[in-house]
Amino acid sequence: MARDAAFRYRTIDFVTVAMLGVAIGVAFWGWAQLYQVLSTLSAFAFPPSSGLFGGAWLLGGVIGGLVVRKPGAALLTEVVAASVEALLGNSWGLSTVISGTIQGFGVELVLAVFLWKRFGPLVAALAAAVAAAFESFYEWQVYYTDWALPYQLAHLGFFVVSGVVIAGFGGWALVRGLAATGALDAFGAGREHHERTAV
Amino acid sequence: MTTSTDLRAELRGFGWQPLGRRAPAIDGLDLDVRPGERILLAGPSGAGKSTIIHALAGVLGGALPGEMSGAVRVDGQIGLVLQNPGAAVVADRIGRDVAFGPENSGIAREEIWRRVAEALELVGLPYPVDRPTSALSGGELQRLALAGVLALRPSMLLLDEPTSMLDAGNADRVRTAVADVVASTGASLVVVDHRIGPWLDLVHRVVVLDAGGRIVHDVDPDTCRARLTEDLGRAGVWMPGLPAPEPADVPAALVAPESPAPRLDVRDLGVDLVARRMRGAAPIVALDEVSTEVLPGQLSVFTGASGAGKSTLLAALAGLVRPDRGGIGGTPVPLHRMKSPELARTVGWVPQNPEHGFLTTSVRQEITRTGLKLGTGVAVEEILEVLGLGSLAEANPYRLSGGEQRRVALAAALAHRPGALMLDEPTVGQDRRTWAAITGWMRAAARAGATAGASTHDQALIEIADRETRLDQGRVR
Amino acid sequence: MNGVLGRANPLVLVAVGLLALVASLGVRSLLTAVITTGVYVLALALMLPSRSGHPLRFATVVLGGVSVAYSTWLLGGGHLDVAATAGLRIAVLALPGVAVAPLIEPMALADQLGQRLRLPHRFVVSFAAALQRFEQLGQTWQHLSRARRSRGFGPGRGPVSRGRHAASVTFGLLVTTMREATSASIAMDARGFARARRRTWAEPAPWTATDTAVLLVGVLLAAVPYAVGLFSGA
Ligand SMILES: Nc1ncnc2c1ncn2[C@@H]1O[C@H](COP(=O)(O)OP(=O)(O)OP(=O)(O)O)[C@@H](O)[C@H]1O
Ligand SMILES: Nc1ncnc2c1ncn2[C@@H]1O[C@H](COP(=O)(O)OP(=O)(O)OP(=O)(O)O)[C@@H](O)[C@H]1O
Ligand SMILES: [Mg+2]
Ligand SMILES: [Mg+2]
Repeated sequence: MARDAAFRYRTIDFVTVAMLGVAIGVAFWGWAQLYQVLSTLSAFAFPPSSGLFGGAWLLGGVIGGLVVRKPGAALLTEVVAASVEALLGNSWGLSTVISGTIQGFGVELVLAVFLWKRFGPLVAALAAAVAAAFESFYEWQVYYTDWALPYQLAHLGFFVVSGVVIAGFGGWALVRGLAATGALDAFGAGREHHERTAV
Repeated sequence: MTTSTDLRAELRGFGWQPLGRRAPAIDGLDLDVRPGERILLAGPSGAGKSTIIHALAGVLGGALPGEMSGAVRVDGQIGLVLQNPGAAVVADRIGRDVAFGPENSGIAREEIWRRVAEALELVGLPYPVDRPTSALSGGELQRLALAGVLALRPSMLLLDEPTSMLDAGNADRVRTAVADVVASTGASLVVVDHRIGPWLDLVHRVVVLDAGGRIVHDVDPDTCRARLTEDLGRAGVWMPGLPAPEPADVPAALVAPESPAPRLDVRDLGVDLVARRMRGAAPIVALDEVSTEVLPGQLSVFTGASGAGKSTLLAALAGLVRPDRGGIGGTPVPLHRMKSPELARTVGWVPQNPEHGFLTTSVRQEITRTGLKLGTGVAVEEILEVLGLGSLAEANPYRLSGGEQRRVALAAALAHRPGALMLDEPTVGQDRRTWAAITGWMRAAARAGATAGASTHDQALIEIADRETRLDQGRVR
Repeated sequence: MNGVLGRANPLVLVAVGLLALVASLGVRSLLTAVITTGVYVLALALMLPSRSGHPLRFATVVLGGVSVAYSTWLLGGGHLDVAATAGLRIAVLALPGVAVAPLIEPMALADQLGQRLRLPHRFVVSFAAALQRFEQLGQTWQHLSRARRSRGFGPGRGPVSRGRHAASVTFGLLVTTMREATSASIAMDARGFARARRRTWAEPAPWTATDTAVLLVGVLLAAVPYAVGLFSGA
């Protein structure tokens, strides 16, 4: 019962998920321009290394999940961000929304395993790793169907490393930084910051 | 004596300690609002006026975390208009935006649109309902926000500084709209404003807080006018008939420029801006053929209606906008091409929204930040003292009252004593004392040789300026 | 048929874009790849309104297809037909979505999601409210970046310095976003958002015969590679 109340969405939770999603979606859209160049270059160097640039796509889910800390927040934030990116126009069209759903689902799954109670750096890293693995599997199916398995695995490895570093530890540090500005005071992360810094 | 049944709202022994603060902002406050009663709430910056509005609106504790004590009871439908009207916009068209409240109440479609038309009519927004909300000026946004709450037929209106960012004409229009509404609906009203003069004919009671958040006066407007002008003036309230305070004496050592003060020579300046929509983009000519001079040793002000281009001109003078036509002379390198640290030495700029300027998480760090970067010493303690921020040195700049934030932003941009200062609406939301501190700073800097500029619609500030440049739709009038 | 997508329901446009995934999964041989791509290009050329977004956006689809084709050739055993199939598969996946994305009106989409798909209204309405802040995001970005520059923390010329600056402004943008979320939710709750049980909608979310027809076309298009596969016995 107490759990129910803690997981019930307030207006600020919905609005935060939506606004974070839109802001991150715009950032994704900006990143997509650069990503296009980087991934094309990497395709002509060593194709699986394009996974190294993929970690940033997982930030939406990690940030949304770590800020709002309620079931569905990670998934919804990532889906909103991916949709906004697609609406603004990128080179993957609406398949971006599918990727976003898969990535958000990966993050959500790990947060669910910890019952939406643990939000430390390791949980964030694990969530990003799972999301990266999911996305890499998906890309095997539609992009890299005919690569030999070792290369597919290399792509997976690169993506997971990038996800852990950029979205996992990076996303966790970002949320901690946000908490320090007082912008997360209405959320768990903000309250924890005040407990840490109380004198 | 009133019984609690004929009250619209009551605060009993109300106290509020914001999260992260060691002392309560308000403690043991009692306030009643009767049905149909209209109350004006005044007091110095940081007294707790916005906090009381938030308490009456029932939003403390959720989105605004902290510890509440005492009892708050409110009856009926609340209509809250926040200080920043942009925050309340939820839709892309004005009709749809006003419809938001009725939609939430589950009202049928035809009735929604009747209410929308009625509310837009009441506040005097004569546009078709499909006008984009992004095409409204500040004053129109303020009236839109008002229409949005009127469509709910509120029994109590709560307005937090509803005219602070507006030019005189638009401010009048908003006040008239409020007066019409309370007259025709009989709603009660609690309005916060530093400038109480224009409200006195409308309200029944004037409630004045002191700096500690205690009620020091609770009187009718006539008494207020007749006997309390001097008293309230000393408490920081802008009373009608009382001349503006003398700008404070700020020590020259705090403001004397460290770098040469430029003589900024604006010639045929033109700036085009692009508003990027989700679907397409709209180019706007923000400034056109603007020519003027901003001289060292003088305080120059830029005035004009909302959207006239004041902020754009100020940003150009601060080297933050590249001219599309013409240019600004007077510096060895054109301002917009200077490297960032060099620019910081030359011009200090205070943004219209103070929050956009913050870089750190404590007031003290914020004020020393640029000085440290440039290797210029900053006298933090004196600056805090002058601006009335002494007790807030360790506070988080994002978590201050509106007026406090603006003063921190000013100190942060100017503490390293640049040659020129460009301030965007520096006196908004200030009481008489803090107003004197800010204008004193600008005047002292100008007397010490700095090139001082500010955009404003504050008549008292315009009167102490040496020179006024009036803009109208991007051109000098 | 001409320009019919310009009049279609945003839900239908989204469906057409998403069905492309189904189509691309059905692309298993060069023949299916060529025919499916051809049919999609033809159908889109017929159904897209004349002025709909920048034509250059299709170039990036080609670029993506080429780089996938190349990598498949390199890492998939050097078969040209396999590589070409992989490249065209990406075109089939991305092309319809890239084509229809500029036609989707975000607000109309939100109305459809709330009223026709009956997604939870609190989420849909928050999403719509957040979308209309898009324009403000650009201006906030500008203000944050101006403030940093005027205080001595602007970007230098090098790419590293520019990157660091962009990261710092993005962080500022997130801070501002979170603070605006707070004030927006206060303003929305003051207008009865949290208490809304039976919410009504000021605008209808219409569904026309055209929408049904376009949706049907979308489904047929997605079925093309499977049909070709069946008939060619591949
Ligand atoms: N978000 C916040 N977190 C912590 N403290 C706050 C916050 N907002 C305001 N305060 C503090 O609470 C006190 C009352 O602030 P409030 O905003 O109610 O003042 P105000 O009378 O409206 O001032 P102003 O005229 O400057 O707007 C001040 O001391 C302020 O520093
Ligand atoms: N970043 C921007 N992008 C696009 N258009 C803008 C931007 N900033 C301002 N504008 C537009 O340029 C014009 C001039 O705006 P500016 O902010 O300079 O006016 P202002 O005189 O400062 O108004 P106010 O009194 O409301 O602050 C307005 O029409 C405004 O809508
Ligand atoms: Mg206030
Ligand atoms: Mg302005």
